[in-house]
Amino acid sequence: MAAKKLRRAQLSQEMCERLSRYQITTCQDFLCLSLLELMKVTGQSYCEVQKLLCKVSRACAPKMQTAYEMKLRKSVNPSSAFLSTTLHSLDGVLHGGVPCGSLTEITSPPGCGKTQFCIMVSVLATLPVSMGGLDGAVIYIDTESAFSAERLIEIAASRFPTYFDSDEKLFCMTRSIHLYRELTCCSVLKRIMSLEEEIISKNVKLIVIDSVASVVRKEFDTKLQGNLAERSNFLTRGASVLKYLAEEFSIPVILTNQITTSLSSGPAIQADLVSPADDLSLSE
Amino acid sequence: MQREVGTLPLAPALRARLAAAGFQTAQELLDTGPCGLSKEIGISREEALEALQVVRQECHGDAARTAGGSGATRRCTALELLEEEQSQGFIITFCSALDNILGGGVQLTKITEICGAPGVGKTQLCMQLAVDVQIPECFGGVAGEAVFIDTEGSFMVDRVVDIAAACVQHCHLIAEAQQEEDHRKALETFSLENILSHIYYFRCRDYVELLAQVYLLPEFLSEHSKVRLVVIDGIAFPFRHDFEDLSLRTRLLNGLAQQLIIIANDYKSAVVLTNQMTTRIGQSQSTLVPALGESWGHAATVRLIFHWDNSQRLATLYKSPSQKESTIAYHITPHGFRDVQPPAAAHSTEGTEMNPRKRPRTEEEKQ
Repeated sequence: MAAKKLRRAQLSQEMCERLSRYQITTCQDFLCLSLLELMKVTGQSYCEVQKLLCKVSRACAPKMQTAYEMKLRKSVNPSSAFLSTTLHSLDGVLHGGVPCGSLTEITSPPGCGKTQFCIMVSVLATLPVSMGGLDGAVIYIDTESAFSAERLIEIAASRFPTYFDSDEKLFCMTRSIHLYRELTCCSVLKRIMSLEEEIISKNVKLIVIDSVASVVRKEFDTKLQGNLAERSNFLTRGASVLKYLAEEFSIPVILTNQITTSLSSGPAIQADLVSPADDLSLSE
Repeated sequence: MQREVGTLPLAPALRARLAAAGFQTAQELLDTGPCGLSKEIGISREEALEALQVVRQECHGDAARTAGGSGATRRCTALELLEEEQSQGFIITFCSALDNILGGGVQLTKITEICGAPGVGKTQLCMQLAVDVQIPECFGGVAGEAVFIDTEGSFMVDRVVDIAAACVQHCHLIAEAQQEEDHRKALETFSLENILSHIYYFRCRDYVELLAQVYLLPEFLSEHSKVRLVVIDGIAFPFRHDFEDLSLRTRLLNGLAQQLIIIANDYKSAVVLTNQMTTRIGQSQSTLVPALGESWGHAATVRLIFHWDNSQRLATLYKSPSQKESTIAYHITPHGFRDVQPPAAAHSTEGTEMNPRKRPRTEEEKQ
């Protein structure tokens, strides 16, 4: 929406040409200027500029919905609101399971089972809806190279022996889990940006990122000045794209995080990097 | 009438031509007339007429302001302001301790900012307020509608349904206890469906959409004149990334703050913003401070900071022009935002003193 060209915002041709001479071509450029600057650039009077602002704003602004319409839409399709984890007590606490349309963060000390959980949820997402799954593909972004395909098959075969009774079914399931190994922050971000098309073409119903913390901790040392800002920039950028994908396609997104020690009275440079409190900007 | 030509809101090219032709005051322009103007400057008669109309409107506006007239002027005496403030309603939060430290609740025509760490309850309070603003006047509310601008995607309809259901039930209990006619009539329209239909939800994905939406808000508010609350949940989130030029960010935020102040005043509604916390690394320690920098701190009139103390949630009134700084504890229950213990009967009498429009409530049966 921000990058929408002014041409498509229904401004007149000559106005667009005049603005492009000042390098103002998108709605974003237009809305970032103050009223006086806009008057100078468009050569129009105050009232005219305000009307132009409203026109451009109407091209970018989101649509209004009432809370009632949202509720009606949700109640039309209640079963697709959650992905059940098949752990009854966990599902009970989460009121149904991992929610679709929002980000869920899983965090723990090392060795507790985050990656195992992610692998299991990937299997569940490929199951048909009648068995509690989402009947779709899975995008698994692995930054620690911890994903094991053999373990995947082991989990599937022992958990659902009646469904995965033949090798054929197992391989079909593995074909629908798309694994991407990304080892730097930059490549993770690029991959997240490119997911929109993949989701549509491959009928993806679950995104797993395991784990965000490892790439961030490798690259951003908060002892250095300026790294804190860059790191928060990367995290919020990634978060907003993931939120958009989760909401747009109504799919669950699972992220894993690591645990760090937060020293309450010690200097910040020792308390570290991606404590769960920090990363909660990524989750709901 | 002695207003200089350079200060009139005309197109810059036109102003340049007028200055080149030697016009200095608005009176000279009006005396020349459209035909004379068009010949001297070399513009068409229609353009000259338009320019003169703008000049005339501006000068009349000026004259009205100097003569103390009404209309566009924002001048009034402190006594008039006092009467207005006393008759104005507050939006209650259902947590009487919080209402007390705020002086009755969230004030209309003011900007209230809620800062806090993730998970502490900012969005919960916003959803509670979006329901509470709709409480009918006979129950002590302002009977308004709510605009909810969401930048983080944390608005959960199911949660609003829970909160609204609890609120409706609470009002039913009051009506049963008091048995008054207007209570019964008000309850007919105060239903779950109505509450949800009067929360207008906008999902802004980045700062450009947020800016655009705020530019369009005055128009929206003129069409929906019953709106008494504008919530922007997550004003920090879209501004924390994609800004290499921090001065641009400051400028945009200041412009946003000015527009929100105008909206709050012109449409008599409360504006509630939520902000994130960021770490400020000092010489020897780090502290959590509200995000978006020092200059943003001036934007809000009232600032609340939500934080944890072990497992108790606390709210601190950090900045307010009329109330003193204090901290209270609050609770988030399945019914919404509530006090930590059920308030004693003393609280209900305090409530009537503070807000004369509120009928005295019997002791809260809830919670």
